[in-house]
Parts: sequence; structure tokens; C-alpha cells
Amino acid sequence: MASVAVPTRGGARQLRLVVHQIYFEQLSFWRNPIGAGFTVVFSVLFLVLLGATGGQSTVSYLGGIKAIQYYVAGFAAYGVMSACFNMLAINIVIRREMGLLKRMRLSPLPRWILMTGIFANALIVSAVQVVLLLVVGRYGYGAQMPSNWLALVVALFTGVVCFTALGVAASTFIPNQDSAGPVISIVFFVLLFLSGLWYPLKPGSTLARVSDWFPVRHLITATFAPFDLRPGVSAWSWNDIAVMAIWGVVGAFVALRRFRWAPMKG
Amino acid sequence: MASVAVTGLSKRYGDFVAVDDISFEVQPGEVFALLGPNGAGKTTTVEILEGFRKRDAGEVAVLGFDPANMATSLQLRERMGIVLQELAVEPLLTVREVLRRNAGYFCNPRSVDELIELVGLTEKAGARVKNLSGGQQRRLDLALGIVGNPELIFLDEPTTGFDPSARRGAWDLVESLAGEGTTVILTTHYMDEAEALADRVSVIAEGRIVASGTPQSLGGRDLGDAKIRFRIAPGHDDAELHFDNMSRVGELVEIVTDHEVETLHQLTGWSIDNGIALIGLVVERLTLEDIYLQLTGYSNEGLAERPSPSALTKEVP
Repeated sequence: MASVAVPTRGGARQLRLVVHQIYFEQLSFWRNPIGAGFTVVFSVLFLVLLGATGGQSTVSYLGGIKAIQYYVAGFAAYGVMSACFNMLAINIVIRREMGLLKRMRLSPLPRWILMTGIFANALIVSAVQVVLLLVVGRYGYGAQMPSNWLALVVALFTGVVCFTALGVAASTFIPNQDSAGPVISIVFFVLLFLSGLWYPLKPGSTLARVSDWFPVRHLITATFAPFDLRPGVSAWSWNDIAVMAIWGVVGAFVALRRFRWAPMKG
Repeated sequence: MASVAVTGLSKRYGDFVAVDDISFEVQPGEVFALLGPNGAGKTTTVEILEGFRKRDAGEVAVLGFDPANMATSLQLRERMGIVLQELAVEPLLTVREVLRRNAGYFCNPRSVDELIELVGLTEKAGARVKNLSGGQQRRLDLALGIVGNPELIFLDEPTTGFDPSARRGAWDLVESLAGEGTTVILTTHYMDEAEALADRVSVIAEGRIVASGTPQSLGGRDLGDAKIRFRIAPGHDDAELHFDNMSRVGELVEIVTDHEVETLHQLTGWSIDNGIALIGLVVERLTLEDIYLQLTGYSNEGLAERPSPSALTKEVP
């Protein structure tokens, strides 16, 4: 059963309320076949298909490691981005335009708990996908597990924070729920394509130099680092993590400045 | 202490003055209606009281709090309930889930099951919100407004789009809340709604309050002129029929008088003397609608040209 918050005081009540809110966020998410499908099913399906077609080939400019190592990392990054950026931005636009955010804002639910619920939902959906991808990669295609789990967690968590901030920021530029899906998805997939999700970019290539400006490629390479098991290669890609952090701060700034509770229409 | 006290409230959007120096008070347990046409400033006023919009000028106290004060806003929201003009319900959760979620936000919520029964959704308690009819969603919306057991509830056009029976149900709900001592502030552009529910009404037009009072006394309705209406069958000679303030549209005759007894005496005398029937004779006070239309700037001439359908069809055999 869900926790129905009882009238206690102070911290205990707030903690219960956070759990209460996350439970209902999760309930809404898994009830939505399109939302759940586009994120969780997509990332796993991509890995299954690419793993089956090219997973065992080797990538010459990555020292001849198997492509599946790259794909597991890439689709873990994809999973985080689709949950935190794509799904979250669309979700916020829909809720805002339906008047749900306004109603929440007028209830005694503290705003930080509402935001925590939205963030935790994105985090949980990301984590579920990463676990599924690791299992499919490991047992389906023989992918080797990361050398350094902490490096993987830090890279993905930085991605979660960065893309959540960007997702909230992006939602403030979408005027209505009809355009939310198409606009967000186009931006998202163009960036994914440029960033070498489906094939590793050659370092120094034009595409790599363009996509270096955006955070998408940095999440992919930061996530890949712990999967790159060649001797002498660090599991930590601080450079990529730093760029994501900068994007996250910029995204958070824009999000806080532009966030609106009321529908933009009318 | 008044539940709501508003003094000199003003709000502009750019050059447009949405609310222009309005003042009113609502006492605990009272049902107060802001009545006015679309764009009159009703929703802006209510949104300022709810703490959703900032005012430009004036003093506002809601349950003793300044709704613009962020430091006390959660305390205030704990004690008030809000039903917005637009429907706003999570589509993928069930009726019971939505209510349980929102009940959790309050320290002292109503029982979710009792609430479901109160708004007549018992059979739909396990249904997802998106599968409810419009009227059922609206009732859920009302339930969400009162789930926190509020002392004060804001209803912004609560029955717009309701069919007559859903409307009746919503009215019953408001009456039962008022019976429990809840203070109710509602906006509406339906005259009959204000008349049925409100203890006091303020009519708002172009951002100003143009009249306040009980629905019975608003705009001098209980004192002023009466209307006498009747029809004269075609072909009768009624050239001698003359009264001040008499108007004719086809067969329909309407006389506005502040001496209805004398006028009626003369009229019925003329009828008997000449053998001409006064078909469908009625005497009525100005309706709240008449007062409202006068106050909000529609001309009486316009009204006389558009007699209400009931006036045309009502007939005494």
C-alpha cells in the first residue's frame, strides 16, 4: 500500500510526503504506455537490435574492443537522457497546459517536494533502464562489466542532474502540449545522431568537434569510460563530467528564471 | 474577524486595468458570489486572494494572512480549498488514487471514501480519470477542492459546462458545505446560480464593483419598478391603450411601473369595458438578470427587443 501521509510534525512528515509523492509519480509514469514505452522499451530494444547486428564487431580506433561495450554505455546514456530530458520536458508541458501544475502550486504541497518527486521519478526510470541494459548486455551479448562502478554511477548521476535541469528548461520554451512531443523529440534525436549514439565518433572528426559543444556526447563518453577496459585507460572522464556540470548549471538557471505554473494558453 | 477582507484592490496587465480599486468583506460561514460577465475581473480577483497572482495595490487578508506572503503561504493553503475554472485532473490515476494523493498533502483531510460518496462517484472510484464523463471529472475536481477540509473554499465558475442535473448536484454540495460552516467564495456569470447559493452578491463589471447586496435586494430589486406583461390577440382595436413606459413588440405588451396596483386597475378596467382579453397577464419584479444586465451596461431598449422566451410562451388559458 502507498503511504498516505499522516499528520505528524516537521521532518518526519516531510519525508513521508516525499515518499508519498514519488509513489504517485511512479504510478502515473508506469500507467502511461507511451511514456513508459518510448523510454524503457526503446533503449532496451535498441541495444537488442544493435547488439545482434554489430555487437561483436570490433572498433579499430578504440583499440579493437567489441562494439557491444560501446553500445551498452551509449544506450545507458540514452536511457538517462530520454527519462530526464525528453520524457520530463514533455510531461511538464502537458501538466502545465492541463492546469495540473497550477493546482499543485495552490495546494499545501511544498514546491521542493513536488520538484523532488519529478526528479526522483526521472532518476528511478533511468536506474531501471541502466540495470536492464547491463543485464541484457552481459547475458545477451557477453559485454564485460565496468572496471569501476563508482565511475559509472558518478557519470550517470551527473547526466541525470544535467539533463533534468535541461529538460525543465526546455519545457519553458514549448507553448503547448501538441507541439511538446515533436519539438522535444526532434531536438533530442538530432543531438543523439550528432553525438554518435549509433556508432562511435572518431575523436577529432568534424561531427565530434560539433557535438563536443553539446552535453549529449559528453554523457555518452563519460559513461563509456568505465566500459573501456583497455589497459591504461582511465574509468573517469572528468572533462566530460565537467562539461555536463556546466550545462546543468546553465539549464538550472534558465529553468528557474523561466518556469511557469500556469498554462501558457489563455 | 472577516474570513476575507479586501480594500482598494487593483491589478493591471500593461495598460489594461483588470481590477480597479475594489473592496469587500466576507464573513465566516458566508456564501459570497462575485457575479459578472467574462473579462470583468472575477478570476483575477480570486487568483489574487488564492495567492496565485500579485496585486498592484490595496490590502488583502485571507483568514488573517496576506496571500502574497510566501512565508505563510503553506499555512494558508492548508486551510483553504480551490476549484479552478479549468478542469485539472491527472488522467491516468483512478478517482480514489487522485483523492488519496491530494489528501496526503493536508494535515487534516477528509475521509477519501466519504468524499467519493459525497460527490456521487462511488461506482467510479476505481475508474481512471480519463474514462470519466466531463461532468464526473468536474465532480472529482470539486472533491479535490474540499479534500483538505478547508475553512474557506474558492469556486471559480464551478458549474460552467454542467448539464442541469450535474449543476443541481454541485449546488447541493455547495449548500451542504455552507451548512457545515465553510466560507464559500464563488465566481459565476449565471444569475440563477448566484441567486440560489449566495448570501451576498457583488456585481463586477470592467474591474469595478457596481453593486453589492443580497440577491433579493440587489440593485433595489425589492423596491423599484414592476413589469406588467400581457398579449393582445390580433385584430383587436387597442389604439386607446396608453401608459407611460409602455412598449410593444408585435402582440406582446410590456409596462414598467412603480404603481402597479393603480396601473393594473386601469388596465383591467379597460379590458372589461372593451371586451379585449389580456392574454398571459403577469406582474413581475425585475429579475436578477434584468438588474445584472442594467448594471453591467446593457441597454433596456435592447432588452425590450429581445423578450425572454418564457414571456412569449407563457399563457393563461
